[in-house]
Amino acid sequence: MNKKTYVALLLVVGLMFVAGCGKKEAPPEQATAKPEAAAAPAAKIDPATVATVSGVAKFDGAAPKAQKIDMSQDPACKGTNETETVVVDNGNLENVFIYVKDGLGNYSFDVPKTPVKLDQQGCRYHPHVLGVMAGQTVQILNSDNTTHNIHPSPKDNREWNESQPPKGAALNKDFARQEVLIPVKCNQHPWMKMYIGVVKNPFFAVTGKDGKYELKGLPPGTYTIAAVHEKFGEQTQTVTVAAKDSKSQNFTFKAGAGGAGGQ
Amino acid sequence: MDWHQLWEIVSTPDNVPIVALIPLLAFYIYLGVKQARANDQLIEQLEADPALARTHHRKTWPFRPGWQKEIHVWPFLLRVEFLAAIIVTIVLMVWSITLNAPLEEPSNPNVTMNPAKAPWYFLGLQEMLVYFDPWIAGVVMPTLIIVGLIIIPYIDTNPLGAGYYTIKQRKFALATFGFGFLLLWVAMIIIGTFIRGPGWQWFWPGQTWDHSRLIYEVNRDLPDIFGITSNWGKGIFGAIVVGGYFAAGGLALTLLFRRFMAKDFRRMSILQYSMMAAFMLMMIALPLKMLLRLLFHIKYVWITPYFNI
Amino acid sequence: MAEQLTPDHDPIVTRSYALYYLVAILLLVVSLFWALWDEAYGQRPWKKYQSVFQERYGAFLKSARSQSAQAEKEIQGDSEYRKLADAADAAEKQAAPAMKKINEQLKEVSARLLAVQNVFTDKRAWVNAKVYEIETDDSESGKKSKQRDLDKYKAQQFTVEFPDGSRKQFNFEQLEEEYTALREEKARLNADLGDLLKPVNEAKTKRDDYLKEHLVSLTPEQIAGLQKKTADWDNKIVQINVASANIVDRCESCHMGIREPVKLTPASMAVKGAKPDEYAHAFVSHPDEEILKIHDPDKFGCSPCHQGNGRATTSVTKGHGDYEHWLWPLFARQNTESGCQTCHAADMKLSLTTGNVGQVISEGKFLFRQRGCNGCHRYEGYDREPEDLLNVQQQIKQKEEEQQGNLRQAAMLTRQADNAPDNATANRLYAEAEALKVANSRIAGQIEQLDFHSRDLLRDLKKIGPDLKEARTKLNKNWIPVWLHKPTDFRPTTKMPNFRLNDEQIKAISAYLWQMALTDKLPAAPKGDTTRGKELFETRGCLGCHSIGEGSEMQGGDFAANLTRVGEKVNYDYLFRWIKNPRVRTRPYCPYEKKDIGPEDYAKHNLPYQIDFEHSTCPNDGHELQVEQMTVMPNLRLADDEVADIATYLMTQRQKDPASYPEAPFMDDPKLKAEGQKWVRHFGCAGCHEIAGFEDEGRIGTELTVEGSKPLERLDFALQTKKAEEGKEVITDKAIQARLPEGPAKADWYNHKGFFEHKLAMPNIYDQGMMKPETEKLRMPDPHLNKDQIQELVTFLLGSQETSLPASYQYKPEDWRRDVQEGWWIVRKYNCVGCHQFTPGQQTSWQNVRRFQDPDWKEQFPPKLLTEGARVDPEWLMRFLANPALSQADTHRNGVRPYLKIRMPTFFFSDTERRKLVRFFQALSQQPMPYTPERLPVLTAKETDMARSLFTSTAAPCLKCHATGDAAHDKIATAPNFLMAKDRLKPGWTERWITDPQSISPGTSMPSGLFRKDGDHYVFAGPTPSSFEGYDKDHRQLLVRYIFQLTPEEQRRVSSQAGRAPAGKKARNPAGSTPAGVQ
Repeated sequence: MNKKTYVALLLVVGLMFVAGCGKKEAPPEQATAKPEAAAAPAAKIDPATVATVSGVAKFDGAAPKAQKIDMSQDPACKGTNETETVVVDNGNLENVFIYVKDGLGNYSFDVPKTPVKLDQQGCRYHPHVLGVMAGQTVQILNSDNTTHNIHPSPKDNREWNESQPPKGAALNKDFARQEVLIPVKCNQHPWMKMYIGVVKNPFFAVTGKDGKYELKGLPPGTYTIAAVHEKFGEQTQTVTVAAKDSKSQNFTFKAGAGGAGGQ
Repeated sequence: MDWHQLWEIVSTPDNVPIVALIPLLAFYIYLGVKQARANDQLIEQLEADPALARTHHRKTWPFRPGWQKEIHVWPFLLRVEFLAAIIVTIVLMVWSITLNAPLEEPSNPNVTMNPAKAPWYFLGLQEMLVYFDPWIAGVVMPTLIIVGLIIIPYIDTNPLGAGYYTIKQRKFALATFGFGFLLLWVAMIIIGTFIRGPGWQWFWPGQTWDHSRLIYEVNRDLPDIFGITSNWGKGIFGAIVVGGYFAAGGLALTLLFRRFMAKDFRRMSILQYSMMAAFMLMMIALPLKMLLRLLFHIKYVWITPYFNI
Repeated sequence: MAEQLTPDHDPIVTRSYALYYLVAILLLVVSLFWALWDEAYGQRPWKKYQSVFQERYGAFLKSARSQSAQAEKEIQGDSEYRKLADAADAAEKQAAPAMKKINEQLKEVSARLLAVQNVFTDKRAWVNAKVYEIETDDSESGKKSKQRDLDKYKAQQFTVEFPDGSRKQFNFEQLEEEYTALREEKARLNADLGDLLKPVNEAKTKRDDYLKEHLVSLTPEQIAGLQKKTADWDNKIVQINVASANIVDRCESCHMGIREPVKLTPASMAVKGAKPDEYAHAFVSHPDEEILKIHDPDKFGCSPCHQGNGRATTSVTKGHGDYEHWLWPLFARQNTESGCQTCHAADMKLSLTTGNVGQVISEGKFLFRQRGCNGCHRYEGYDREPEDLLNVQQQIKQKEEEQQGNLRQAAMLTRQADNAPDNATANRLYAEAEALKVANSRIAGQIEQLDFHSRDLLRDLKKIGPDLKEARTKLNKNWIPVWLHKPTDFRPTTKMPNFRLNDEQIKAISAYLWQMALTDKLPAAPKGDTTRGKELFETRGCLGCHSIGEGSEMQGGDFAANLTRVGEKVNYDYLFRWIKNPRVRTRPYCPYEKKDIGPEDYAKHNLPYQIDFEHSTCPNDGHELQVEQMTVMPNLRLADDEVADIATYLMTQRQKDPASYPEAPFMDDPKLKAEGQKWVRHFGCAGCHEIAGFEDEGRIGTELTVEGSKPLERLDFALQTKKAEEGKEVITDKAIQARLPEGPAKADWYNHKGFFEHKLAMPNIYDQGMMKPETEKLRMPDPHLNKDQIQELVTFLLGSQETSLPASYQYKPEDWRRDVQEGWWIVRKYNCVGCHQFTPGQQTSWQNVRRFQDPDWKEQFPPKLLTEGARVDPEWLMRFLANPALSQADTHRNGVRPYLKIRMPTFFFSDTERRKLVRFFQALSQQPMPYTPERLPVLTAKETDMARSLFTSTAAPCLKCHATGDAAHDKIATAPNFLMAKDRLKPGWTERWITDPQSISPGTSMPSGLFRKDGDHYVFAGPTPSSFEGYDKDHRQLLVRYIFQLTPEEQRRVSSQAGRAPAGKKARNPAGSTPAGVQ
């Protein structure tokens, strides 16, 4: 037997391998791995460098007359009551909720222990617009001589509806998630309405009669500041503050701007 | 060219033996011919030189003076055979590890695989089914093949060429073998494997095996071509044609034999010769029939209510 | 002769084979080892998986354990636990001295007992043996003598030496007494000890339980157990084998984490810091333990739901069945829910609580109905009404034959009896004959019932598309061809699919429809006011099913047509009739005569031409008529002026002038009619529409019940086969590609999933590149689905397979769960979910309607039905569903909630459907049927006073919101009238409701916290009137009883007392843009 024989035999074996390779199974398909979320370290604010943003919410156009509300439906509702949807005092718009919408990066803020008060008096809410930090307690009082029920209708928070007897014990509630302008109403006194702005940071304010607001203690940086009105919706502006400076930022709402409910 | 398709066929585990068959055949034919040629030279030498023929004791090449005249089976033969056995074992083991048995899904009577192919060693017979009706191709032919193989020793009267390779001394035997085995058997297996695609249609290597492929082809019976309609007519006509083929073929064969293989012819008894001739003609008939079909689209030649040829 | 030596140069003799042999043997050995390795590992890849799992899971458990230990510490740190722990210790201390004493006594007593016992047992043995001898001795004398010995023995004195060294003499009786005495003593002491220990053990268990309850994860001990299990795991095939169902699943040999009691995610099973690899993904635990709880793998295995080759263990590909010759490959991740079909094929609702389970598959099923797929394709269980109808009719036939048979039989028997040999036989035969007659009367009753049932079913038959017999009366003639050309051009969201019609076909079809339509004229309808129409349209309830506006402007439901351009297609008079009552037919259809019956037929039999459910028999042959439009659209019970307003408003909804449509003169060309008929039949229009001449038309599509298990060879990929195998995309149009759930093909899609996806994305894709005559082209129209819908449908189809599981595995409940399934079918049929919430979180159409975004409109949402079954009395519900106005006279209102602008419409449910619905609601809240109302004790005079005073006190808000029947007040009422409670509500539910409504219907305007718990009962939270002094019963029950016994007079009285100001002063605008007059 000579070398050629070997060559030929090996060749045959080789052929069979080749043929064999054709039927080798494909390796198991690799499923795409999902990335793990990385929690960035929470920064702290240096009180020495904080800045302030303040300004006025203006209303441009003829302010609608506040309508008188007839509360005769419930004799226990004393006093006068007017619609508070648009309250304008020579061009300054009240009840505008202003907050830092974006730009705080990964600062972490601890929730204040002190509760925010919400009073029901003369069958209306005081205040009409309320700012609160996510997780902060809202203490709801009923100073009226009638039963109220507090019924917030949030989009992203848990909905609830609790009745509160005349001068009854205070209700303590809180909202877990950021949601700006949760409408709150009382089903028994349909005119009773107010709005709660829940924000994840402590930089929010509600304009007063003079339409003024002030956001204190902002760390230097660039922020998107949003002004939200229950009827005229949201406006945003960007502002950059350096250490220790105080910027002024005004908002102007026009009559007939789009509001909720497409009315 | 659809190489992917070709690779599909070649790489199917079932086809491994056939893929291997081709190089192996080539190699062994080459080996045989090589030795035969050497021997033929020696034979010439001896015929030319009677002196040497007398002193010479081996018929096989190579030969040097002083070599042993005879050697023992053990160890000289067995050691080679044993080596071969080991190598075959290795090949089989590697093969069985690398390729699993090609199992398929639980059989479903509603679905037949397409193309449905016989095991490789029967592909030749399956190929014949294309040209003959099942009874002929499936029963008669195999029988004839076996019978034919059985009678070979009885009709082969050539005393030469036993125990050594030679072409010169066994031209006829070799030719017959080449024709019968290589051409009819092996070639048809290869056709069945590589050429026959879905619907048992003819696909050249590198053509896509398209299941929805349509081809126009009408096969007619020989009698119809001659416009013979009656069953009797067809039967008789077919009988005449076939008979004619055997008569003419027999005649031609005898002439050729007389002319080229006078020696063999003389050795053979009439019975042996006629046997050989009959089988030979039948063997030749097969490719002829195939050509008739492939080239002239002739389906059957001889049509009877009992069988078709 | 001389043996000649072997010359050294003889090639055969001298050549050495050593080298060849060496090589060959080496190769042989190598291949041998290779074979061994292959046997041990090559063919058993799962071994690798198991060892990897061991190490990774081990690591995971290690960290988990430390965390859990941490948590344990924290809990042990908190005050509650400390309290319990201290309590336990205290108890132990307190019990200690007493225990000590008892233990000493015990010790002593047992010692004495032992001493006595030693002696006593020995003596007793002797005595017993003796007694036996006496009993068995058969000689009197022997007995006597032995007796004597015994007595003597018993009289003997035995000495017992006590542990304290003292000795005492006993005779046998005394010994026995002493022994029993001591034993009792010991038992008593043990009992005392037990009593003493009881409090201690209780305290300890309390402590440990607290720990278990407050530990979120497993306790360290449990985890340690798992660790041990994992550590000393040795490789073996893990197999689920359910012989009865022929399930053999070895999936868990690799997926070892599937059933681990801890949550394993790819991230948690990955190597630290590395991205999750194939192992990490293989080892995760099952994503939904809930499902596993219901379907215990030891009973169901894995493959019945997921498919794949459960037996294969040689490779991942084999195991998942992703190879050519396996017929049930693993369902793709996106189509996992196909598996539900295996057993839940017939179920429309897979989860009663949330929508999350089986959402995809359920949506797929709904789409299949909603888009009218079953108009062409049969699918078992999706043609309930027609199939039930057929089945009932067959039953009737059988019964009638049975009757005939009985009569013949009876006659024969009587004849036999008449000439019977003797009276006995005669009487017997007469009796038999009579029995048969009696049986017939029973059968008559059955037939009657079945007949009623069949009427109901006929009434429940609906068609997905509108009735085209009305084409002439309803439609703008020139609009029809335009619409047929491509419905989505006119109305992008329409349910009508795009048929690829050429102009000839369009002409022919529209001509046929036009000429076959009824030609009756409709009375002219009064015009209305557009603005009021808009208002009504948006608030009456139309938007529950219909939508209006296109693109971002769109609002309303997607169940029915989008009406943005309706003004271009309809005739006003028809629209008026339709809105007034959609079920009105121009002519009733007689299925027996197969024609539409008109006034003339009634005139023939001089009957009034009146068609309704009371007059629903054919004047010609008395067969049941189809008296209703086969639409699910209900009747909103609108007043004529309201109808006119809405209709007028809708007529204004157009983008171009109807007159501007090109004239279509061919519509009246009679020559086109035959051609049209051919095409209408060809495209199976009658599958969805009622078309004259096609009332009994069969379906043209293939049945899809088991499409998923059709052999792949039977799905005709045509010329696309090769491309599909090579994973090339054949859809070139980008827009259509976007419909493919996974986008353009990336890999081999020559499989069922690929076929369905491409077919649904582009139904004629398998015609692409082929030359066919019109009649042979694929007929399936383009249902213009988006990728999600296609995914849902494909999931549905993939799952539609013949299952090899035994019938016992099929979900075929006979109890309340069946009621849920049957009811849900109806609920989706009439789109109740468009307005009502059945499960928390389910969206209704109203939630996207703009004006309802305002919080003031929240009260205007249709009521949630989360616990309807628990709330209302089934009897009442039956009545309500029949007539939601709850009044025959004044029907233009809501029966229960008159203050809602959205109106609960009348659906004309058949009795069958109503009954099913009622059962459904009961079942959905898992209320037992039949319902037995609670008997409430009658109020005493005092109780009445108290309740009244509470009702009228300013503190009590009830009457501020609840309607009282006083028109002025009801204008601002936002809650139902109390008078209804008695018939409508279940007392128990009412009680729970007034306690905490928020937990029953989240977000309701009914406030919680009206009552506070005071000791064992609830009292009113506000200041209670003086009359409540010393009343210690539950205030809720009092109120509920009062409400349930409320009479109109009482109510009037109360509401006047409640100090309501007269109506005049109210400055409200009830019809205004907001309810309850708040702006």
